[in-house]
Formats: sequence, structure tokens, C-alpha cells
Amino acid sequence: MEATIEVTGLRKRFGSTLALDGMTFLVAPGQVTGFVGPNGAGKSTTMRVILGLDKADAGSALIGGQPYASLRRPLSHVGSLLDAAALQPSRSARNHLLWLAHSQGLSAKRADEVIERAGLASAARRRAGGYSLGMRQRLGIAAALLGDPPVLMFDEPFNGMDPEGIVWMRGFLKALAAQGRAVLVSSHLMSELEDTADHLVVVGRGRVIADAGVADLIAAASADRVTVRTTARGDAMTALARAGAEVAATGPDVLTVSNLTPESIVGLLSENAIPFTELSAHRASLEEAYMELTRDSVEFRAEAAR
Amino acid sequence: MSAVLASQDRPQARWAGSRDALHSEWTKLRTITGPGLALIAAIALTAALGAIAANAAGCQARGCQIDPAKVSLTGIYLGQAIVAIVAVTVVGGEYSTGMIRLTLTAVPRRWQVLAAKAAVVSAATLAAGAVAVLGSLLAGRLLLYGHGFTPAHGYEPLSLGTAAVLRAAAGSVLYLVLIALLALGVTTAVRDSAVGTGLVLGLLYLFPIVSAVVPDRTLARHLEQAAPMTAGLWIQATRGLRSLPLTPWQGLGVLALWALGAMIIGAAVLRLRDA
Amino acid sequence: MSVITPYRTELSSSRDGFAQLLRAEWTKFRTVRGWVIGTVVGALIIVGLGVLTASKSMCSIATVTRQNPNPVFHACPAPATGPGGEWVTDSFYFVRQPLAGNGGLTVRITSLTGLYSTHGGLPSGGNLLAGMTRGVQPWSKAGIIIKASTRRGSAYAAMMVTGSHGVRMQWNFTHDVAGTAGKVSAASPRWLRLTRSGDVISGYDSADGRHWTLVGRAVLAGLPATAQAGLFAATPGYTVNSTSLGGTSSVGGPALATATFDRVSRQGTWPAGRWTGQDIQAPVDSALPRSVQGFTQGRGRFTVSGSGDIAPADSASQVEHTLGGAFAGLIAMVVIGVMFVTAEYRRGLIRTTLTASPRRGRVLAAKAIVLAAVTFVAGLVAAAITIPISEHLLRANGNPISPLSAATLLRVTAGTAALLAVGAVLAVAVGTLLRRSAAAVTAVIAGVVLPYLLAVISGVLPAGAEEWLVRVTPAAGFAVQQGAPAYHQVVATYTPGTGYFPLAPWAGFAVLCAWAAVLVTLAAFRLRRSDA
Repeated sequence: MEATIEVTGLRKRFGSTLALDGMTFLVAPGQVTGFVGPNGAGKSTTMRVILGLDKADAGSALIGGQPYASLRRPLSHVGSLLDAAALQPSRSARNHLLWLAHSQGLSAKRADEVIERAGLASAARRRAGGYSLGMRQRLGIAAALLGDPPVLMFDEPFNGMDPEGIVWMRGFLKALAAQGRAVLVSSHLMSELEDTADHLVVVGRGRVIADAGVADLIAAASADRVTVRTTARGDAMTALARAGAEVAATGPDVLTVSNLTPESIVGLLSENAIPFTELSAHRASLEEAYMELTRDSVEFRAEAAR
Repeated sequence: MSAVLASQDRPQARWAGSRDALHSEWTKLRTITGPGLALIAAIALTAALGAIAANAAGCQARGCQIDPAKVSLTGIYLGQAIVAIVAVTVVGGEYSTGMIRLTLTAVPRRWQVLAAKAAVVSAATLAAGAVAVLGSLLAGRLLLYGHGFTPAHGYEPLSLGTAAVLRAAAGSVLYLVLIALLALGVTTAVRDSAVGTGLVLGLLYLFPIVSAVVPDRTLARHLEQAAPMTAGLWIQATRGLRSLPLTPWQGLGVLALWALGAMIIGAAVLRLRDA
Repeated sequence: MSVITPYRTELSSSRDGFAQLLRAEWTKFRTVRGWVIGTVVGALIIVGLGVLTASKSMCSIATVTRQNPNPVFHACPAPATGPGGEWVTDSFYFVRQPLAGNGGLTVRITSLTGLYSTHGGLPSGGNLLAGMTRGVQPWSKAGIIIKASTRRGSAYAAMMVTGSHGVRMQWNFTHDVAGTAGKVSAASPRWLRLTRSGDVISGYDSADGRHWTLVGRAVLAGLPATAQAGLFAATPGYTVNSTSLGGTSSVGGPALATATFDRVSRQGTWPAGRWTGQDIQAPVDSALPRSVQGFTQGRGRFTVSGSGDIAPADSASQVEHTLGGAFAGLIAMVVIGVMFVTAEYRRGLIRTTLTASPRRGRVLAAKAIVLAAVTFVAGLVAAAITIPISEHLLRANGNPISPLSAATLLRVTAGTAALLAVGAVLAVAVGTLLRRSAAAVTAVIAGVVLPYLLAVISGVLPAGAEEWLVRVTPAAGFAVQQGAPAYHQVVATYTPGTGYFPLAPWAGFAVLCAWAAVLVTLAAFRLRRSDA
């Protein structure tokens, strides 16, 4: 059995809200899979259903081909971090990991190992109520690693991390994936996911909108633009339009060209002897790709500040 | 470090994992100071209230209707309240911090979580209750003698050698355990510490107060027979057993039924609802 | 270099006073559906318990006669009512003559003896008095009386000697004044005199017949021109209350008092000229039957034997008992009160609250006031619904309803609502102090309801401890529910279980308020000092 998360056709309604509407995707081992979507898209609900905490009205969620409830020593199959604040404030971090370890038949030694790995050794015996946001995140990650599982799920792990922590986390997640584990990370920080994730599952309104590699998604986004600065604006526009590009005049001598690679634009302009002084390629960011994909799925849109 | 699922893990037998669940619940209980201090307070208050009651009792001549064992064990009214707090917090605290999700992730078979909590809470209550009851009886034995409860007036010194007193003592400890289980079940069903506490105490105090105030004596008697606290405390009676509506063990059985009912409802809610 | 204008808000200026804080806390409360429902549930529990106990309370009397040995059930008859409207026991042996207009009566009493039965009930047939023990009851009474008529409950004034309370003047059942102390005997007789002047009856006593002391003056409004006056004897039954596992048990039996009078002299107009003996007795009083009461007259000397009592009856009204569910409503409001506070600490909401309103004492006050107001209204509505419905049900079930004055009824209703409100304030204070839900709820309930419980279930604590508990703990507040006052001249079971509290209603409530004040102060202190 492989280390995978397999979600098929999940449907769930909370009262009058349809939270999941046919959610289907696969998380494969050896890569970091980003799980992104607007607020209310159903990411946390999906994770809770996978972990057997909430019951779906229809569909299935399998870990390595088995439902969560049937797993023996589940934390050695899936490690998860859903809510870093789910702690008893008066208990120390080490004792928190200790009871978790005991529930899987693991020893205190294992708890100490993961504390070390998460970088919490100095604060382990302090009460968890006094922890900062970042420390709580690290504690949650330590808990996820307790059973050394081949599948890992993190819900917004970058929250509350300082820059040094973010760098650490990024490397950490990639290293975990490189070991052959399946890693699912949900996040809102596109910039972080862009550098961390290899595969992306984009969700909106309870269903999957896109399920592809990061590079493919970015390439598919129509936000690839090339900016050309030229004095012969009219000629350039004709030549490029004839080649099938979308050209917009965005300044007295500036053109914004879409649908053509920079190399082909250079070729076209040279062929037609159109001089240009500047050519800069604007590669779409994951954020732009994502915004375009989820434009119709956003439920909560704030008004721009007046 | 192996990152591949072990192929010999199979959907397992019903009881597998219970031992680990038990171990983790015990670790949870012992790694915060609250429950331990509370149980010590329960012991102290139970013995103290029993001593106060024994001190205030008096017997001038033969034929006093006072039951020395029951007087010494009066402190159980306070002890049970504290035991209820501990049991309520064991479950309610998980819901208020959101830790219940983590617990159910670690032990997905929810009945195991409840059973482990029940076992751990029962054991702790049993230990604390035994100390409390013994202390109360000791205080009672020492104090009552000086207040006229002498052989001349028909009272032997309180001793565990007497079958009735032994029953009162052991039954009182069992009573505390059953109260803890009742509180555990109720709080698991309502998922909140404050509401759970209010429900448990309300349930315990409802029947005696209503039956004392109701003028219809037949109705009052029926209420007492159905009451968790009133009937349960008949286990403490060593005199006047014939005037009780039920036998002592039957009375404790009534409480046991209540506790069982609460645990069943709690287990059902835990199983059926989203975490 | 552009100049940046500072941001000016477009919102109109608003106030930030205590009224706004109250409104904020009220909004917080009413927008949590669970708390609102909980309050309604609390009120419903009070109504439900009251209606349930009323509907299940049956009262019926079974009478058996020689002709028809099968018991016949009737509704319980209402006791007689005295001039003040209260329930009274008016049962005695009356040796009387009519007295027209103003006048007086003077007698000397030389002995007061009695018999009583310890085992309750009456031996059938044969000599009723065989097997009864010699002895007077503390409130056995014999003496002279001027009474408006022989109707039970009519106005009267009496001078009497009692078993162990000396000479007393009593009138209209509720008034009692002490005269010369000491037991009466042939060696130390007592002289008693009553004189009527219009509506005023004055009572005098003397040890020697020559030097008289005024004991008291009774004004009996509307006393008819011709009243009945004469000698009487009565005694309440023998009772011993013992508390044991099964509850309070009263053991006892009927008693008989016999008094010897001589030197009887009358002043004024006594038309009849001869004495008539009459047993004033209700069908179901626990007095001995007519056959043993009576009087003998010879050579100026009278011996009168009577049984019964002339005193207020136990009228712990069943109507107030139907508000006995108040403790359950209190538990519900305590839970909500604690949640009202601890919910703020749960996800750090307290920080938002204290940022919006940094004056922490005011925040606590606002919470307490909002919760108290909500609880008071809910309690008032619940009580106002329960009492009429319960009264109707009680009557339908054959229970006599003792008349409660409007003032008392108002006090009981508003007092119960106030009791709940202050209990809720206690919950807010203790919740702020402890910050832990389960402990706070338990602490308040253990302080307010548990002492009440222990006092109401008799047999748990010895009597002295019981009384002390209900005076000192916040449970003293339950005294507002007492409908009828306790009288010292009546021997009855005056315990919280029967609806009588050691402290006066408002005194008890004051104790509860004192506890609340102390705890709120401590809570404010803690709130100000500690980090949010």
C-alpha cells in the first residue's frame, strides 16, 4: 500500500451551508501538495473528514487505501496539525507529547526526539499556555511527527512563523517529501507555497478547481505578459497581432503583449525590423494564477479601503 | 526511519489499542496539577465535614435514633461535589481547548476514549474516596465516643469489623466512583464543563428537595426511590434499615443505573456527532 | 512634496459611558442563543416543578363511623380563620355565660394538671384515660376568656396560666404577652381578671387577689355587645420531634389539661345566670373526644378539663411550597452566569472586551447588572405564572389554601426572583475569581443550594448545625420564600423543611446580598490586578 491520501466525491452540509460538494483529489508521495482555496472553500472541513473527525454525507477519504477509523496506531500512518492552539494551557509541551506518545504505545524517548527535531528543547518543560504563536506551531509539528508517519497533513503551518521560522519550515517540508512521504499543506501564503509545493490542489466552493503541478498552473495562467518599449508602436502592434498575440497599448511607447513567449516576440520584431528598446518578461506568480482561477469562487470579498 | 506503511497492519480486533488509550488518559490526568489537588481537597473536606457533624451530634440516653456511621460520613456531600468537578473537567476541558480533536485523531475508536477516561477517573476516585472514608470514620470513632455514643447507650465504637459499617464504608467509596461516572457521562453528552456541572448537581439535588417539599408522602417516597443521591446514600445506613424504602444495596443500584444511563448517552453523543 | 492630511473619521461622535457598556453586555448576552434558551429553560423548570408538585398533592380526610365502617373520603376541610385572616386552631372546653355590655370576670386558679398519651392514637372503648401519663405540656393553658361567640376563629381575649410559661395574656390568636412567671399550685395560686370596656379588654393578674398588675390591653374591633365569657381549659398534644435517617418524625399523642378554679366573681350584666359547658372542637382536631372533656361545679369550685389549643395553626402555605423549584432555576442561572464570564476567557475574547472598555470594574458591574436583570425578570415571570396555576391545582385536589396577604404574596414572588438574581450575580463574581467553569459552578451551588438542601432534608445534620448553616451561608436568602411567620407560643415543626427559616425574610436576603457584595469586590480586585 502506498503512502497516499485519496479523497473521492466528498459531500457535506452544515445546516444550510454546503461545505463540500464532490471534493475529489489524490495526494501522492514524494512531493509537497499544496491545498489552497479562498476562505470557506472547504479545506479544513476536508482535512477533518480525512481524519475521521467529521462525518461526510457522501464520498470517501482513504489513507493508504484504508479509512482512518480502521487504522491501528493511526499516528504512525498520518501525522496532522490542524489547530496549534488545541492545548491544555497548564500542561507542559513535553507532557503534551507524552500523552500522545503513550496513546500510540510509544515511549518518552520518542517524545524527546521530536521535541529536539522541532527545535523546542529549551522550552519543553514550560507550560504550554505561555507559548508564543510560533512555538505552538512547532509543538504541533512535533506532534505530527511523533509516529514517524509516511503521510503528513498541515493546516496553515506558516501561520505565526517569523522569517527564520518560515525558512526552516520550507526546508523541513521539502525534506519530508524528499524522504518519500506524502505531504499535504494548506495555506493562504501563495509566495510560500510557490517555493515549497510541487503539486497544487486548488479548491473553491467545496470542489476542486484545479489539480496540477505548480509549473503547469503558472504556465496556464494567462497572466504571462511581455512588456515591449518601442517607438514604432503601430507597426509592432500589427506584426504581433497577426502572430496571434493579444496586444495592449499601455503607454505612449509601451506595449503589453500576451500569448507569445518573449523569444518569439524578439524573433517577430527582428523579422519585421521593428526597433525596440526594452523587452521584459513578466512571469505570472502563483498568486496571480490562483486569483484568476478562484475569481468566481471567492465567498468573502472585502471592499477596498476608501 | 521507515516511511513505508508496514504491510502487516490490518483492521484490527476490537480491543486493540485500549491499553494505549488507557495509558494516554492516565498521562493526561497526572500531568496537570488540578485533579490531584482537587482530590486532596476532597479528602480533606470530606473528613472535616464528617468531623463537624460528629462533633455536633449527641446522645443522652438509650434509644437515640442517630446513626453514627452515617453521621461520620456526612462529608460525602462535599466530597461528591469535588469528585464531580474532576470528572467533568476531564472531558469538558478537552472540548473547551479544542484538544478533543487531537485526542480523537490519536484514538479514532471513540468508545475507547470514553472507556479509558472512565477507567482512569474511577481509579483516582476510588483511591481518594477510600482515604476520605477511612479518615471520616476514624474521626467519627474518636469524636462520637465523647458525645455519648457509648456502649451504655447502645452504641459500639465504629469499627470496620462490623458488617454494617464495612458496607457503609465500601458503599460510600463506590458511591463516589458512581458519581464520577455519572458526571463523566453527562459532560460527554453536553460537551461543556459549566452545563455538565449544573446538570449533575441539579440532578443530584432535585429529587431530595422536591420530595421534602411535596406534601404527598407517597409521591415523596417514590421520588426518593428514584433519586440518584438519596437512594445512593442509603448505602451508608447502619440503623433503621427497615424504615428505608429500599435496601442499601438496592439504593446504590439506583445510582448505578443513573451512571450507566449517563455513560450510554455520552457514548452515543461522542460517536454520532462531529468532533 | 505633498502634504498628507491626517485621517478624519466620518462617524458621528458617540458616547462611551456606563449606559453604553450595559448595552454592549446586554447585546453580548442576548445574541448567544444558548444562554437565552437556558434562561427560558430555567424559568420553565420553576413553573414545571411547581405545577407538578401541586398537581400531585392530594389532601383528603377519611371518616369512619360506627354505622358505616368503610372509610369515606372528603376533601380536607380548611381550618378556621382568625380575625387577622390567618389559620387558627380554636379548640378548647368552654364553661361560659353570656356577658352583656361592659363587665368583668375574676377567678383564682389553684391547680393545673394534665395527662398525655405517648403512643399516639386513642385506645378504643373502655377507659380512655387509662395508660396516659401524668404531666402538663409546656403550653397547656387554662384560665378565663371573653370571646365574641362560640364560632371557631372568632375574636377573643384570654388570661391564663400555662404549663411552663407562667401567666399569659393572649388575644386574637397571634398576640401573646407574659405575666407573672412560675407554676401554679395550691400553695401559690394565681388570680386572673379580665374586664371589658367597649372594644377594649384588659387583663390583670395577681398573686394574692389584692394587688393587681395590668398584663395587657387588647382592642378587639367589632366585639358584639353580648359576648361569651367564662372559664376554659385546653392543651396541645404531646409531641417529641426526632430527626433520623428517614426524616423528622413526630411521636406523640393527645393530652388533657385539668384546672381547678374558685373564688369566681363576676361584674357587669350576666343575663343567663347559669354556666354552660361546651366543647369547642373541629371534627378533625387532634383533641380528645367529648367524652373526656367537661366540667364539674360544686361549692363555688369548678374543675374544667379540656383538650386542644387556641393558637395560630401551621399555615406554611402550600402555595409558597410550589415555588420550591426555585433552587433548580437558580442552578440554571448560575450555569449561565458562569458561562457569561468564562466564555470571555476561552478564545481570548476578554482582550477584545477590555480593549473596548478598559475600565475593568465597570465591565464586571455591567455583566453583573445585565445578568441580574435578566434573571429577575425571568424569575418574576416564572413565579407569577406558577402561583395562580398551582393554587388552582391545589384547590382542585382538595387542599385547603391558607390565605396569604397580598403583601406576603408579593414578597414571596418578588423575593424569589430577587433571590435568583443575586445568585446569578454570585455566579458572575465567582466565575471571574476562579476562571474555571466547573469549579465556579460547583462553588456557587455548594454555597447557595447545598446548605438549603441539607437543612431541608432532615436527618443529615444535627439541628443546631442545620440552623447555623441557614443563617450564615448564602442559602439564608431562601428565607424570602417563607410565607407564614413562626409563633413562639405554638409548638410546631419550624424547620426549613416545612417552610420556616430561622432568619426573617429580609434579614436572610441581606445575608445573601452581603455574600454577593464581598465576592463581587474580590472579583473586581482580581480582574483589575491580573493580566487578561
